[in-house]
Amino acid sequence: MLPPFRLARPRTLDEALDAIGDDRVPYCGGTELLLAMRAGLTRPEALVDLKSLPELQGIAVDGGHVVVGGTERHMDIAAHSVIRKHLPMLARVEHGVGNARVRAQGSIAGNLCFAEPKSDVGPALMAFGASVTLASPTGRREVTVEELIQGPYFADKEPDELLVDVRVPIPSTATRGAYLKYQITERPTVGVAVVHDPEAGTCRLVVGAVGEVPTVWTGTSPDEIDPDAIAEEVDPTPDLTGTERYKRHITGVYVRRVLEQLADVKAGK
Amino acid sequence: MTAHETEQATQHGPGAGHGTAFWGRAHEAPSEEFRTVGRSVRRRDLVEKVLGTAKYTVDVTMPGMLHARVVRSDRAHAKILNIETSKALSQPDVVAVVTADDLVHLRARFGHIISDHFILGTGKVRYFGEPVAIVLAESRAAAYDAAELVDVSYEDLPAVMTAAEALVKDAPLVHDVLYDATADATFKELTESEGEEDEGPHLTNVAHEVTIGWGDVDEAFANAHLVVETETHYPMLYGYAMEPYNAVASYNETGLTVITTAQHPYMVRDDLARIFDLPLAKVRVQAPYLGGGYGTKSYTKVEPLAAVASWVVGRPVKLMLTVDEAIYTTRVDDGQMRMRTAFDAEGRILARDYELVMDSGAYADNSPLVLAKSVNRAFGPYRVPALRGRGRSVYTNTSPASSYRGFGAPQGNLCGETNLDQAADQLGISRREIRRRNLVKWGEEILPKNRGIDADLIADLDMVVDSLERDRKDEPYYGIGFGTAASDAGAYPISTAQVKVETDGSVIVLSGSTEMGQGSTSLLAQVAAEEFGIDIHKVSVIQSDTGAVAYERTTGASRTTTLAGLALVRACADARTKLREMAAELWSCDVSEVSDGPGVVNGPEGKSLDLGKVVTRWFGGSAGEVTGVGLVRREGVTKEMPPFWETGMVGVGVKVDVETGQITLDQLVTCADVGFAINPQAVEAQDLGAATQGLGGALFEELVYDGPQLANANVVDYRVPRAGDMARKIDLLLAERRDGVGPYGAKGAGEGQLNPVGGAVASAVAQAIGRWPSRLPLTPERVWRLANNISDDD
Amino acid sequence: MAADQLAQVEISVEVNGTVVERVVEPRTLLVDFLREDLGLTGTKQSCLLEVCGVCTVLVDGRPVSSCTSLAVDADGHKVTTVEGLSDGKTMHPLQESFVDNHALQCGFCTPGFLMMSKALLDESPDVDREEIVEYLDGNICRCTGYQPIVQAVEQVAAQMRQEREVAR
Repeated sequence: MLPPFRLARPRTLDEALDAIGDDRVPYCGGTELLLAMRAGLTRPEALVDLKSLPELQGIAVDGGHVVVGGTERHMDIAAHSVIRKHLPMLARVEHGVGNARVRAQGSIAGNLCFAEPKSDVGPALMAFGASVTLASPTGRREVTVEELIQGPYFADKEPDELLVDVRVPIPSTATRGAYLKYQITERPTVGVAVVHDPEAGTCRLVVGAVGEVPTVWTGTSPDEIDPDAIAEEVDPTPDLTGTERYKRHITGVYVRRVLEQLADVKAGK
Repeated sequence: MTAHETEQATQHGPGAGHGTAFWGRAHEAPSEEFRTVGRSVRRRDLVEKVLGTAKYTVDVTMPGMLHARVVRSDRAHAKILNIETSKALSQPDVVAVVTADDLVHLRARFGHIISDHFILGTGKVRYFGEPVAIVLAESRAAAYDAAELVDVSYEDLPAVMTAAEALVKDAPLVHDVLYDATADATFKELTESEGEEDEGPHLTNVAHEVTIGWGDVDEAFANAHLVVETETHYPMLYGYAMEPYNAVASYNETGLTVITTAQHPYMVRDDLARIFDLPLAKVRVQAPYLGGGYGTKSYTKVEPLAAVASWVVGRPVKLMLTVDEAIYTTRVDDGQMRMRTAFDAEGRILARDYELVMDSGAYADNSPLVLAKSVNRAFGPYRVPALRGRGRSVYTNTSPASSYRGFGAPQGNLCGETNLDQAADQLGISRREIRRRNLVKWGEEILPKNRGIDADLIADLDMVVDSLERDRKDEPYYGIGFGTAASDAGAYPISTAQVKVETDGSVIVLSGSTEMGQGSTSLLAQVAAEEFGIDIHKVSVIQSDTGAVAYERTTGASRTTTLAGLALVRACADARTKLREMAAELWSCDVSEVSDGPGVVNGPEGKSLDLGKVVTRWFGGSAGEVTGVGLVRREGVTKEMPPFWETGMVGVGVKVDVETGQITLDQLVTCADVGFAINPQAVEAQDLGAATQGLGGALFEELVYDGPQLANANVVDYRVPRAGDMARKIDLLLAERRDGVGPYGAKGAGEGQLNPVGGAVASAVAQAIGRWPSRLPLTPERVWRLANNISDDD
Repeated sequence: MAADQLAQVEISVEVNGTVVERVVEPRTLLVDFLREDLGLTGTKQSCLLEVCGVCTVLVDGRPVSSCTSLAVDADGHKVTTVEGLSDGKTMHPLQESFVDNHALQCGFCTPGFLMMSKALLDESPDVDREEIVEYLDGNICRCTGYQPIVQAVEQVAAQMRQEREVAR
């Protein structure tokens, strides 16, 4: 049973920005918010439905970026030709989020704003160097996904802000990406995303799920990556899927394995 | 995660029984001997269920009903100082808040073995999650909202959160009084222990203690060639029937009616009658389809809550539990066991000596019986000349434990079977061979004065091991493990059935058994169709309503085929006898000249009458009905206990990733020795389901306490098997040697293939990594530490 | 202009082909709307955490956890439940296949598995066994051990493939 609340259904972004506030929270699929409400963790006065806002929809190329509207669902992102063409690793990650129901209902903005530590999407976006656009009544600002995800269940977004879209710089066609996760229960224990763009001379590896926030490593090439060093760097949260010792060990294993997988990935994948 | 290749299980020839390919027996040409039984008929309950028209308790409503929400303790052990209900009562649509104070004129405790179970926390609470109050409102939302406003104040008491803590001398007592044993004769016989001392009231947290033994154990150990000692821990589980407990109750001037998710409506009726001091005839308990049972819905659970609520307010009450509430209603006993076995130089068992401790939670429920069965089953289906077995079921301040599929067998089997394998390894004998040397043969006793084993275990073992070895992979870290079990199953042989023959020759079966997915409805229809020689579509089955059908003691212990089936066969025979007598009268001939035919009665000079016509002509109009009654008690074929042995014969092949500790299940082979499979496809279905639940306990499932409460009272953090965990190769074998006392030589099925799974997986992993696990579930971390010799403190 | 904060919402939902109009509280879950307001009790609830799939219904052909989905969010959309699978006279091929393959026992998880399977086959008719297992890994069954469910869906997929080939 959910606690009682009122519903607002704005038709434009401005109406939506007007409607949200401290106790009036935005939602799209509700896959995280409704669970939190049912668990008694949050009791908003009102929910503001973002699903009809055209400004938050769409997946397209804009200049050198892929732009994904905040209310786009995982299922649609995974299947979209633009994502498959320019960010194939992200398409694979989106295809593997949760289960088919979560993919059909859940939105990318909801996922990022909820900042669930055991998430696949945030780390994958971080490996691509993605950022998000936050809109408020006073204007807009752009922050990297890394900056957005501040802590466990804590996104750096004010109550009067909405996540409008996710912007991913389109990497060169020589780029290779891989994502590997170790999942033994309902949520991943560790997920490692890596993107190597040899033309730009950038390589980013992100370890997610194992700690409270993802850990990012940046360099020029995967050859520079020392899995053991990364394993030393992460701060694992012990839980029923593993102690700190075990999770640290698994991190090293999966960094190694994702790099092996990356080596087999063809350019542009 | 893991890739699965499509794999067709291989055909192979039978040993002494029918070895079959996956689903093979179900698709073989049925024998000519029978018309209906022995065939994988289309189950009528499955059709309703796929259409979405099947009714479960959760779908039941009663006019004018209120909705209930339980307020639960947030302490493990505490005195209840005060329950503040005024805020809740002032909410709109809230009708009442029921507490133990409202129940003082009732017998507000229940429990079919030990009546220690308070309906609502009284004086103190004994576990986190214990019901303390019931909020009743016009809507579910109002009840939920108001429940949060009930304010209970407690004074904490020291708690015992593990069996070890509870057994410490002078530990805080979960129960500080002695209760009456409710136990009727049937329970006394089953839980009786020899050598139990009847001292004065020196109270401990031991809820029940059992010892069994024979022969000279100490002498055997003194003369042994090899002694192997093994200690294991089987986890605390949650059965997770996908439908949580719920009940709809109506107490009014005609009596009490409860519709509920109960496997044993008649046992629940007994408890409710005692609580309200009502005659049994005034208490009606009905169970529609159950959304899973597996023993977790055996005996009384939430019915008293709904019933007392209805009694207090004078309106029907519907109580629906969520999954976390269900976990805090009933869980599964764990098992800490230590066993020593003495062997001779050939690996023959000379003696087994073991001790078992079960953490049974805050209330006894069925744990004393689970304990007794666990002790009976721990030594395995082997020849054991000398034995000493002891078990204790211990109260702790945790969720109450009770029956689950396997009923104590898995907890002990893990220890006994890995112990045997360890001996085999040490003696340089194969694990198959050590079993061949020790398994009892058909007819041999394993429990003194009990029915001899009614299965050919060695033949079954060979079928399983042959299948495993044939598909063994020659790869590093691959291991095969297998185990055997025999359970004194069937519970108690008291059963009745009725069958009514209508004026058109169609037949209605009345049975107190329940349908929880195991296939009882369809099975009873098959038996009746077979006995009358009529089409199965002319048979309907009405079950699980104490006011409208025939008495059935319990549905569990894999007993329905054998015992309810036997009662039904007798009921059909009784009806047939009556119809023959009626026909003889109609034909003015002697009864000896009349005989049964398919759907007819045959008489002299080629006369023949449809059963329906016998009815109408005898009654003298298009009216009437002939009822047959069948009774089963401990006599004749069911005099010896157990009514049948339920065997388990399971093998697995696993591959271990030693870098992560993850186990991939490559093979799963089971062999059910069922005497006769009335519906082969249904038996195979039950076997795979049972084995899968066993794999849950072996690989994934474990309830974990964190302080006073569970860390994982939900199915995100309590991990059950999923489709992706399926074995690459699944081989379900049936052995049918017509050696049971049930209809057509049938025995029971449904639990056996769970029992040896834990031990089989542990042995397979041991073979794969070269070290013996002693604790389930074999989570990746546990396996990783074991395989890489990393201590738990590291 | 601000959007109103509604305590009651008028919704219009097409359920199994029939348009229903109701006024509901925003807090009303889709599963409760279907079961209690509309009497469609075929859809069940279990985990309440979106992981078991027992409550799966289709919204515009896509699977959702109706236990964690608002009725107001179905406004203007098409909902299909297990009751909408058969046309009242013949069962859907998935329903037939589930019965034939004994892909259920207690049946509580079955409506959810049926709706998930339908969504899968409608979206990707050419699935292989591995894809079926991966998709249905999102639903829990406690009775069957999954193999017969996968087999049942495989058979319908094969049947559909054959029908498509014949149609060419």
